[in-house]
Amino acid sequence: MRAVTNVILAIYNFFVGDPVILIGVALSFLVIGLLAHSVGAPAAVTGALLVVGVLISVSLALWREVHPAKH
Amino acid sequence: MFHTLALGFTPDYVAGTAAFLASTVEFVEAFTIVLVVGLTINWRSSLVGAALAALALAVLVAIFGVTLVKVIPIEVLRLVVGIILVMFGLKWLKKAILRYSGRKAFHDEEAIYEEEMAALKARGEALPQQLNTFGVVTSFKSVLLEGLEVAFIVITFGATGSTHAITSHTDSLGSATIGAALALVMVAALGVAVRAPLARVPENTLKFVVGVMLTSFGMFWGGEGLGVNWPLSDLILLPLIAIMLVASFILVQTLRVPSATKSGAQPLPQV
Repeated sequence: MRAVTNVILAIYNFFVGDPVILIGVALSFLVIGLLAHSVGAPAAVTGALLVVGVLISVSLALWREVHPAKH
Repeated sequence: MFHTLALGFTPDYVAGTAAFLASTVEFVEAFTIVLVVGLTINWRSSLVGAALAALALAVLVAIFGVTLVKVIPIEVLRLVVGIILVMFGLKWLKKAILRYSGRKAFHDEEAIYEEEMAALKARGEALPQQLNTFGVVTSFKSVLLEGLEVAFIVITFGATGSTHAITSHTDSLGSATIGAALALVMVAALGVAVRAPLARVPENTLKFVVGVMLTSFGMFWGGEGLGVNWPLSDLILLPLIAIMLVASFILVQTLRVPSATKSGAQPLPQV
């Protein structure tokens, strides 16, 4: 079990290494997927939203890095 | 036509450039460890370890690069690769922005060299001509770990580029592999000439450029995988790259610490 957890953690660290980026990017793709398929939103709108979502994700990840939570 | 005749296929310059730039960063980092092992243990162990790792990486690229295109449907491949590329690219971009803004120490190859050298010397003398297991493993691990990121970029750009209209007549996997191989040859040649850590290679700039490229291509391919018909088709990549560049510059300026403003982006303790 511990080995499996370690493998998952290693894969996560290799590809992302930041929970804000992981959640932000996943949410961005989920939202534009829903907009494109359920609502039939124009490509320009979904594309722009994806870019905005990605920029917000990296900005939040940087903000979190610069202002770490105090415990 | 000329290029097709010379190489046997039409090159995909985008995949080749991305692989070359990313590989340069990673191979410079791996070279420092290979150099330390070579000088402290022996060159035989160091080069055997590095060669074994290079072979393992080549096998990975050959297996996954070809299999992905054949087994996974194009839309799914673009979506999955796109999402992963965006995350992977943002990881690189975040590090580069933090370093430019003075909030994270620059990657210091000379410091790593000194540190590793001291650690290996503390282990005691090694016989100059005999294969040393520790030396082989250390060299193998460093090249493999640094090279895995290169392999990932070669595979994703190779597999996804091959399925795309802009490069439908090109060999993206071959181009990306050549890009990575050229970086390896360049770093090795520089290393042999300098015989010291390659501290002058602008690693952070390369990381910044590659981060922007990976993120932009990831958004493009991921969007296509979700059925987004981008305006301007492939040409939308240019505005996407421009937006990421401008946003990144703004983030660097916003996060810049006062001491870094006065004397440029100087290395500061890691946050």
